[in-house]
Amino acid sequence: MKNEKIELLSPAGSFEAMQAAINAGADAIYFGVEQLNMRTVSSNPFSIQDIAGVSKIAKANNIKAYLTLNTIMYEHDMQLLNLILKEVKEHKIDAVIAADFAVIGACKELGIPLHVSTQANISNIDAVQFFAPYSDVVVLARELTLKQVAHICSEIKRRDIRGIAGELIKIEIFVHGALCMAISGKCYLSLHEQNASANRGACTQNCRRSYTVTDNESGYELEVDNEYIMSPKDLCTVNVLDQIIDAGVGVLKIEGRSKGADYVHEVTACYREAVTAIEANNYNQEKIDTWMKRLEAVYNRGFWEGYYLGRKLGEWTQQPGSAATDKKIYLGKGTKYYSKVKVGEFILEAGQLKKGDTLLIMGPTLGMQKRVMDTLVVNGEAQEKAEKGDLLTLPIDVKITPSYKIYKLVSAEQHA
Amino acid sequence: MPKLIHYRNKCIGCSICFEMQPAFWRMSKKDGKATLVQSIAKKEIYQLGINEGDKELSIEVEKACPVKIIKVV
Repeated sequence: MKNEKIELLSPAGSFEAMQAAINAGADAIYFGVEQLNMRTVSSNPFSIQDIAGVSKIAKANNIKAYLTLNTIMYEHDMQLLNLILKEVKEHKIDAVIAADFAVIGACKELGIPLHVSTQANISNIDAVQFFAPYSDVVVLARELTLKQVAHICSEIKRRDIRGIAGELIKIEIFVHGALCMAISGKCYLSLHEQNASANRGACTQNCRRSYTVTDNESGYELEVDNEYIMSPKDLCTVNVLDQIIDAGVGVLKIEGRSKGADYVHEVTACYREAVTAIEANNYNQEKIDTWMKRLEAVYNRGFWEGYYLGRKLGEWTQQPGSAATDKKIYLGKGTKYYSKVKVGEFILEAGQLKKGDTLLIMGPTLGMQKRVMDTLVVNGEAQEKAEKGDLLTLPIDVKITPSYKIYKLVSAEQHA
Repeated sequence: MPKLIHYRNKCIGCSICFEMQPAFWRMSKKDGKATLVQSIAKKEIYQLGINEGDKELSIEVEKACPVKIIKVV
């Protein structure tokens, strides 16, 4: 193998997702705080005060934590930026991910390790060389082919391009998750329609809707095979991951800070297993098929391998939302924890749970846990089913609080 | 009397309100969010009484806010 150690980097839009990433075997997580990150609106971001907590959990679990500060920055953001960077320094966050030169400059001045964000659209070796005196990791543009990625990786070795810490610059690419129609996320679509700038984390996902194309002169509507003409399918590379690692990529990034703990867990686990299989030389089609099936079960718009294999045109999705084969239905939330006997109590606020159903439990120190309910203890007695208003108790090792939620996992077809 | 209401904690600091209506808005250097000048705060919700003459522009600002946290009532 060309690389020393491949790093698997997972998204953490919440403490639940962070824990899920840890449980599933991520080497590192990335997160955003306040309004200076690209998922300001779609997820409920962490606050400045959470930086300490994220750092503590990461260090306790021996993983790295990176903070995204990758929006466009305005003059009035500078003080907040400095406040955030102060916390980053104090709590020893492993790196900042940024594209704005103000952030890049400030990190250098403060001695904070920097990863150059994909927003910087780095597409050639000279750009990598340019950023080397400021950074240790460079996230390449998502639009490159694997051949171009491999060339950049080999040139780093040949030219001996070292980052600020003195090591060879590491190359990071996106391996899984949402893609967007605009190059490196530089999109003005939501700004034009709703005055909401994607580059300030306020993307309203206009591209994910269906559109008709009309000839304004004649009024004729053009026939377009697919109405979702601006919504690409999601990136999935678990089937070509050996080629990606062979290209010399050091960090594999999973997109999805606005996705839930169940998504983060499943996707991280699949890619972890794939990396392990490649390292152990037993990566094969049978395993790929199993991973694909598991990835198809959680949120997705259908998959393709992105631009890495040299496709000229994007593949467009056929549906407005998710094509996930599994669907989670909200049941209720945590009410009590009996710490002596390690039993958690949940109240069912909606739906119905039967013996044999698959239950999904999500919460901050748990991440995500799936279990098939062979026994059902409802209102203190063994029962066949639980309904709205019932109290469900089950043995569990973590302290259950109201921020814990339970869901029933059903096949999407069955529920449609 | 009409009122301008600002749900400040959801502000993403895009500064469109300040650009359009500088008489009422400032960009806070402290946290990068917009501040409704001389407003009265109840928890995280800021309110300011305005004249009828300021209503039209305020409605434009309400429409322009990308995260829909400005209301004119």
